[in-house]
Amino acid sequence: MGIYLLRRLNLFIATSLLMVTILFIATIHFPTERAYAYSGIINPSAEQVQQIISDYQLDKSDVYQYFAYLSQRMSGNLGISATSQQSVAKELATVLPASFELACFSGLLALVLGVPLGVLASLNQHKLTQNAIMAITLTGYSIPVFWLGLTLSLWFGVRLGWLPISGQINLLYEIKPVTGFMLIDTLLSDSSYRLPAFKDALAHIVLPAVTLAVLPFTVVVRITRSAMLNVMNQTYVRAAEARGLHTGKIILRHALPNALIPVLKHLGLMLGAFASYAIVVEVIFSWPGVGSWLVSGIYQRDYTVIQGGILAVALLIIFLSILIEVLHTASNPLSRKELYASN
Amino acid sequence: MPQIKIYQEDDIPSPMRRLWKSFASNPFALAGLWVIVFLLLLTLFGSFIAPYSPEAQNPKALLLPPSWDPAGTVEHFLGTDDLGRDIFSRLLHGVQLTFGMSLAVVITALLLGFVIGAISGMMQGLKSSILGHLLDALLSIPSLLMAILVVAVLGPGIDNVFWAVGIALTPQFVRAIHQAIHEELQKEYVTAARLDGANSLQIFWYVIMPNVWEVVIIQTTLAISTAILDIAALGFLSLGAQAPSPEWGAMVFQGLDNLLTAPWTVSIPGVAILFTVLAVNLVGDGLRSALAPIKN
Repeated sequence: MGIYLLRRLNLFIATSLLMVTILFIATIHFPTERAYAYSGIINPSAEQVQQIISDYQLDKSDVYQYFAYLSQRMSGNLGISATSQQSVAKELATVLPASFELACFSGLLALVLGVPLGVLASLNQHKLTQNAIMAITLTGYSIPVFWLGLTLSLWFGVRLGWLPISGQINLLYEIKPVTGFMLIDTLLSDSSYRLPAFKDALAHIVLPAVTLAVLPFTVVVRITRSAMLNVMNQTYVRAAEARGLHTGKIILRHALPNALIPVLKHLGLMLGAFASYAIVVEVIFSWPGVGSWLVSGIYQRDYTVIQGGILAVALLIIFLSILIEVLHTASNPLSRKELYASN
Repeated sequence: MPQIKIYQEDDIPSPMRRLWKSFASNPFALAGLWVIVFLLLLTLFGSFIAPYSPEAQNPKALLLPPSWDPAGTVEHFLGTDDLGRDIFSRLLHGVQLTFGMSLAVVITALLLGFVIGAISGMMQGLKSSILGHLLDALLSIPSLLMAILVVAVLGPGIDNVFWAVGIALTPQFVRAIHQAIHEELQKEYVTAARLDGANSLQIFWYVIMPNVWEVVIIQTTLAISTAILDIAALGFLSLGAQAPSPEWGAMVFQGLDNLLTAPWTVSIPGVAILFTVLAVNLVGDGLRSALAPIKN
C-alpha cells in the first residue's frame, strides 16, 4: 500500500506539472503582452516593470520563463486581477468556499436521494416501474443544465415566487465570513437575525443545488441499480438468504457496501462534467463562486483571473480524482489484487 | 407432437445480425435511432426546407407565440423571437451547427484518439505509459474550462468551439482505446496468435480490434451527447456561437431577455437540445445492452 500511495503521489505531481505546462503554453499565446498576461498589471511603473522582468525572467528564453512561471505560481503568486486590482489568490480564497458549499450540498443531495432510489429500483421487479425509472434518469442525464436552471427559476422563482433565484443570501443580512460556507457562517454569527438569515441562505441554495444535483443524481441511481442487480445475484447473498436473514439486513449489511464501490468509482469519473455543470449553474443563479468569477473573467479578458481559476479548479479535480481512486483501492480488496500482480 | 428441427436449422445469424436483433427488440432504442436518422437528414437538407432564412426579420410579427396558441399563426409555426425571426426556420438551420458540428468534432477526436490510443496500447512499458498518460492532464481540465482557455487564446467564435470541444474529447478516446487494447493484450488468445507467428500489425488488426470496436462505438455515442451539450453550453455562455447565429444554445441565450414575456423563445430550443441528446443516449444505451450479452 505504501508503494501504491507513493505512485499515486507521483501521478499527482506529474499530472499537475503537465497541467501547469499546458497553462503556460496557453498563457504565452494570449493575444496580449507577456508581462501583462503573467502579472495582470496594465500600466506598471518603472519599478514594477523591473520587478516583473526579474520575477518572470522576461529577458530570457521561453524555457527560463517556464521555470520562473512555475516557481511564481507554486509560491502562491497568481498575479493581480486587471478589473478589481486585487490579488487573484485573495479573490480565489473568497470565491472557492462558495463553490464548495454548492458542490457539497448538491453532491450530498444526489447521494442521499440517489442511493436509496437506486436500491429500490433494483429490488422492484415490476417492468413498468423499472422502465419509468430508467426513462427519468436518462432524461435527467440528457437535459441541458442551463435550460433546466432557467426553467426551474422561471417556474419556482418567478411564477410561483417560492424561492429566490440569484445570489447566496439576501443582501439585507450582514454576515461576517468565517468559514466561507454561508450556511455555517449564518449559524456562527452572533447577531439577532441568525436564524432568519440561515433560513434565507437555505432558501437561496435550494434551486442551484437541485439544478446541479440532477446529473450526479441520475448517475448515482443508474450505477447503484446496476451494481445492486449484480451483487444480489452473488452466491454470498444467496448464502445469507439461506441462513434466514431478514431482507433489509441482507441489503444494508451484505449487498449495499459492495454495491457502493462502483458508485464511488463513477463519482471520480464524473468530477470533470460536474465542474462544467457547476460553472453554468453558478452563472445562471449568479452564485458568487469560482464559475461565475471565471466566466466574468473571460468576458473582461482578465487573463490572470482565467489562469488562476483554471489552475485552482484543475488541481482540485486532479487531487480529488486521485483521492477517490485511493479510497476505491483502499475499500476494495479485489482491486488491490490487481495492483500487486500488475507491472 | 413436438417439432424437433435441430438439424434443419441451418440459418445461424451472424454477430452483426444478432446485435441488430437484440438492439431492435428495444423499442426506445429504435425510436432513438429513427430520431437520429431524421436529424442526419435535417443536417443535410434542413436549410433547404426551412421556410425563412435564419436572419430574416419580420417587423410585423414580433414575439409571436407558437401556432397552437390562440394568438399564433401558422406562417410562423413555432412563433417568432423579439426581432421577428421565425424560430422554426432557425431551429432547422441550427441542426447543422449543433448536431452536425458535434458529429464532425467527435469524428475528428475519434480518428486522432484512435491513432494515439492504438499506438500507445500496442506498445509496452514506459513509452506506452508516457503516450497513454500524456493527455491525462487534459482529461482533468473540465471541458468547459478547456473551452474557456481556448477562447481566451483564440477569441470567441463557432470555429474555436470545434477546437475546444475536440481537445476536451480526444483524451477520453485515447484513454478508452488504450485501456481496451491493453486489457485484450493480456489475454491468452492473443498469445496463441503470437505463437502462430502473427506480427504486431496482424495481431492488432485481426486479433484485437474485433474485440475493441464495441468500446469505440460506446465511447462514440457518449462523446456525441457530451459534444452537443458542450457546444450548446458554450453558445449559451456566448463563448461559442455568437449572437445572430441559430445555434441552439445561442438561441436560448438570445431568448433570455424575453424569458418572462415570451418563454417559448427559450423553451423550444431547449427542448430541441433535450430530445437530440436523449435520442443519442437512447441509442447508446440500447447498443450497450445489446453488446453486453455478446461480450459475456
